[in-house]
Amino acid sequence: MPDYFTSIGTLLDGSFLQSGALWALSTIPGFPPIIQTVHILGIAVVMGSVVILNLRILGLAVPSQNITEMTRRLMPWLWWALASNLVSGAFFLFGRPLRYFNNPIFGWKVSFLICAVLLTLFFHLMSRREEAYWELSSKRLWSARAVALLSLMSWLMVAMAGRWIAYVEYIYYPA
Amino acid sequence: MGFLNSPKWIDVENWSLSWTIGGTWWFPFLESIHVIAAAFVVGSILMVDLRLLGFAAVKYPISTLSKELVPWTWGAFVIATVTGLGMFITRAASHVVNPAFQWKIVLLALAGLNMAYFHFRIYKNIARWDDAASTPMQLKVIGSLSLLLWSGVMLAGRWVGHII
Repeated sequence: MPDYFTSIGTLLDGSFLQSGALWALSTIPGFPPIIQTVHILGIAVVMGSVVILNLRILGLAVPSQNITEMTRRLMPWLWWALASNLVSGAFFLFGRPLRYFNNPIFGWKVSFLICAVLLTLFFHLMSRREEAYWELSSKRLWSARAVALLSLMSWLMVAMAGRWIAYVEYIYYPA
Repeated sequence: MGFLNSPKWIDVENWSLSWTIGGTWWFPFLESIHVIAAAFVVGSILMVDLRLLGFAAVKYPISTLSKELVPWTWGAFVIATVTGLGMFITRAASHVVNPAFQWKIVLLALAGLNMAYFHFRIYKNIARWDDAASTPMQLKVIGSLSLLLWSGVMLAGRWVGHII
């Protein structure tokens, strides 16, 4: 793990953010599974927005929906779901910062997340530059498909890596 | 509910497949696929539910959304069920007596009943409100129930891991 990454963990460790998160996680009854469920419901919205949109661009799903219209309608859902997931995820991140910022799989998750967000942001911003931007020529449509494929894989890898954070500890630091 | 305490569940845990999954990277692998598939089930059904509530995608007929999305929901559901069963057999005896697991199964059955009611009782009269942006109360109730029940399935499912 690069130093600038692990040092974020050191910075958060022992801070008021950690004590606040630990207070919420240990005091409010059922808080950990509830906040994890909020996090997973956020992932469900990611699936129902950008993943379905990517499947549509690849010609695999919802053929009667229009790509431009879908982008305009679904992107706000994605960005709000991500904001919600940053908050729900932060409880765990702040609660045990050393666990996450020293975990290589968490590093992978953040890397995939940055990839996924940049690809989706690029797609979204270009589609706002010009009406039906991605559908105006076959070259653009093929570029949209390439972006959609990479974006789809990145989003799925974010969710996949997220689940493996808890397991890599057994592999790297066996009991 | 005597069958919940039956020693047969221990036999399930002792299948060689159960030991293989439980003792290798198969378990986390199945679990990550399970989470992705379950999120996809809820994400795709969410789009239909929000249309039933008249909140989103009102430009599309309900029948079109349902026809194009529900097969994806079912596909993801099959993946979630297979991966879920794979995890279940590694701890069958503990799962069947785990209240969170029991809630999950009950909520799943209720979500299924709600969906069946929509498809077999309401769907016949689809032409009447297929294009309506503002949907009748009956559809709003079904859409809300679906959202609540599926969120409950997720919560109970996530809670299973905190009790086991």
